[in-house]
Amino acid sequence: MAGKDGITRIGKLEIGRRRILHLAGGATVALTAPAYWRKLSAQEKRIVIRDPGGPYAEGFTEAFHKPFKAATGIESIGVAGQHEPTSLIKGMVDTKNYTWDMALLTSAACDQLVAEGGYVEKLNVTSPNIESTPKDFKNEYFIGNNIFTTVFAYRKDAFKDKKPPSNWAEYYDTKNFPGRRALRKHPFDTIEQALLADGVAPDKLYPCDIDRAFKKLNTIKKDIKVWWEGGAQTSQMLKTGEVDLCPVWNGRAQTVIDEGAPVEIVWQNNLWSAEGWCIIKGTPKADMCREFIKFAADPARQAVWTKWISYGPAHPDAYKTIPEATAKKLPTYPANFKTAIKADAAYWSKNKDKVTEQFEAWLLS
Amino acid sequence: MAASAQRARPAWIGLWPILPALLFLGFLFLYPVAQLLWLSALDKASGDLTSAHYVRLFASPLYVKVLRITFEIAGWTTVFVILGAYPVAYYLATSSERRRNALMLWVLLPFWTSFLVRTFAWIVLLGRNGAINKWLQALGITGEPLDLIYNFTGVMIGMTHALMPLAVMTMVSVMENIDANLPRAASTLGARGGQAFWRIYFPLSLPGVAAAGLLVFITALGFFITPALLGGRLETMITQVIITQIQTMMNWAFGGAVSMLLLVAALIVFYLYDRALGMSTLAGSAAASQGEGRPNPVARLGAWAGGHVLDLLGRICDTVAGAWERVFPARPDRPRADRSRMVLTAVVALVIFFLAAPTFFIVPVSFTTDAFIEWPPKFFTLRWYQAYLDSPTWMSATVRSLMVATVAAFLAMLVGAPAAFILARRSMAGKTAAMALILSPLIIPRIIIAIALFYFYARLGLVGSSLGLVLGHAVIAVPYVVVTVMAVLKTYDERLDQAAGSLGANRVQTLWHITIPLIRTGLIAAFLFAFITSFDELTIALFVSGGLATTLPKQMWDDSLLKVNPTLAAVSTMLLVFVTALILSAEYLRRRAAAR
Repeated sequence: MAGKDGITRIGKLEIGRRRILHLAGGATVALTAPAYWRKLSAQEKRIVIRDPGGPYAEGFTEAFHKPFKAATGIESIGVAGQHEPTSLIKGMVDTKNYTWDMALLTSAACDQLVAEGGYVEKLNVTSPNIESTPKDFKNEYFIGNNIFTTVFAYRKDAFKDKKPPSNWAEYYDTKNFPGRRALRKHPFDTIEQALLADGVAPDKLYPCDIDRAFKKLNTIKKDIKVWWEGGAQTSQMLKTGEVDLCPVWNGRAQTVIDEGAPVEIVWQNNLWSAEGWCIIKGTPKADMCREFIKFAADPARQAVWTKWISYGPAHPDAYKTIPEATAKKLPTYPANFKTAIKADAAYWSKNKDKVTEQFEAWLLS
Repeated sequence: MAASAQRARPAWIGLWPILPALLFLGFLFLYPVAQLLWLSALDKASGDLTSAHYVRLFASPLYVKVLRITFEIAGWTTVFVILGAYPVAYYLATSSERRRNALMLWVLLPFWTSFLVRTFAWIVLLGRNGAINKWLQALGITGEPLDLIYNFTGVMIGMTHALMPLAVMTMVSVMENIDANLPRAASTLGARGGQAFWRIYFPLSLPGVAAAGLLVFITALGFFITPALLGGRLETMITQVIITQIQTMMNWAFGGAVSMLLLVAALIVFYLYDRALGMSTLAGSAAASQGEGRPNPVARLGAWAGGHVLDLLGRICDTVAGAWERVFPARPDRPRADRSRMVLTAVVALVIFFLAAPTFFIVPVSFTTDAFIEWPPKFFTLRWYQAYLDSPTWMSATVRSLMVATVAAFLAMLVGAPAAFILARRSMAGKTAAMALILSPLIIPRIIIAIALFYFYARLGLVGSSLGLVLGHAVIAVPYVVVTVMAVLKTYDERLDQAAGSLGANRVQTLWHITIPLIRTGLIAAFLFAFITSFDELTIALFVSGGLATTLPKQMWDDSLLKVNPTLAAVSTMLLVFVTALILSAEYLRRRAAAR
């Protein structure tokens, strides 16, 4: 664990056992501890970075936080924040309470923070590695770190003597590919999947023909056994065989496969998005964050965390140091990326309000 | 009357105990939240007054429909919870103290497992390949797996289970104070069992039912994780819609408008409830019928209809019992078995089994070698316990959660209990408004409170502090304390206090030696509710701490990003053992002290 190596990760509170004894010692210590935390983040040479927690935290500690401290003397501290923490970031900027200095966000969340009135800094940083990161994965506020994608997965035992579905059209074909199906209880991705299933060409997907999507969704509505809302739910359902087919983020399906469940991922026309670094507007530590961003753009560093997270490194050169067995599981691996489609965050930021309302009304009708 | 002693002073001085609660909620809830909700009346870009967000609310049928679904789900949950909890509470209240304390441990089981673990336990138990379906098929009862989750049934099972302990505790604390001699007196006067229960005992227990129903209903309105994970296409709760607006859309104005819709609708329901049976059962005296309050027609109609329904229920019970005895006459050579008690015992056993079921499942799963929460578990490993005990992260999260919850619960008691005394015993202007304020923290979605507190704390320098977390948790715990203590005071015989006073005890002595010991169960229940509210809370913790200080729910949530692994089951088992040991040793010490 990180604590042993003297790396402080506040979200995980790995300050060592003595600190824990203090905590156990009395309420006073624990109740005054936060003042201590705030002092920490106000100190020089220390930045606090939001990440999604869990395996990200472990992966980033090894890939970034430890070597970054060694290389620059700046301590970077990973903190797990809630899912899509846009509201909290807005709050931090509005009140100038910088609990975090930068954050790993989806590009959609970053776009939104920009659109809402500039809640993130312009990156204004460059390096050879940042230059050579593909254009699709970055903009002036955002530099991609990892690519995640929506695929569908199926239970091999449910298609033992039958041909399993191999694309979204077959996912929607309940007659020739019988099996219990799930869909996400959210219009993102689900609308695109319906259109792809209806034969819309990948390059004609955006702007989405919403009416056509709902018409296609109508054909499958009564056959959907589970409308899922959370990622952990999808891995659980695939593991126990609650459903035979499920649209899922590739990392969640991979967890299940790695545990030995008979599950297979279908990569055809997967819908990818990028997660990357953003600097929170007005943080006094912006320049240290830029140092971190330069450091994290190094493909060799990005290769390290793939041991914990099955998402694709943004820098293509990372594959030079990733073992083939791991590489094959990742979304940016050439074979997997071949038919991939970029989920259009700009389209959704314009239309999500209206389409979400329509989608929820459709579900209830 | 107690009031005569204070005639010299203005009446409101006697009402001071309610002030801490009103100030506390006014300062830490009403002021920050109102500021946030005010956004719903403003144009996002220009900041001018606009009705646009409210127009949109009614332009689409969606929001009113989701509101209706939310009220239906909360309403049915309340019905099932009360139906299940009443017999258990009755059984507990009429058992010996030793048995009551033992059974209470079972009733409280769901409290000690986090909502995340509990919900996943149901997913695995009720799933297509889950334990229940496998047993049903093995026994040949069903051929095909039944759809027990991802529909209304699943939501009801999950929500009823989560809220039943709340109802049992509330009702037991009221029923304990019912004089057992009253139903006996009715029997002496010729009432058969059914009549004695329905016409004497049941009306006396109504304050408990009313309080439990109110708490369960309002708490259920705010549920979203359980319906999201156990429900299907049609089970969308309004809190989910609000969270989507706030988080995904960053549309705080419209999110605020939807919250206002929920708040207004819930307060209208509360107002009607109050008019029909509320304050007369929950607080004050049986005002409507004794002419002390305003005899309003709704209440009079309710009382008239209620009386007849109870009479009918009593007759039905007695007829059934009579018929039973005619079919199976009592054998004179055997002692007469108390059949109604046997039926009651069976029902109680069933309900308690339901409450304990996920725990029976979680404990074995914590020893599984599988990396998922799955049934049947593959034995045997202690690695999940090792992962928990070896991790400073988990340990500090546990310690922090226990401490924050303890302090928050004490604070909520300190603020809430005095207010409950005033609300239950005194008549004052604006009582309904005060109750509405006190209940509001349960109705307003947590995310709204969390954001509002963040902005407020930023000005006070409380962001990231445990004090901020404690205060935030106390805000949502106060309503539970107030309602629970009010309910138990309703059945409390105030003449006992007056007797103590006439024997020379002063106010403090009376409170300390007479009142508090007599309402002990109610106070313990209130404390437990406050404790659990804080102990299981995630949203406010995430905002206020910014993720810097880990609490147990946050650590669990963090740990289950990709999958829910058995560490969570191990943590729940440890907590269960810890809390049970704590309660048992407290009980042992108490008994030893009593014996001395």
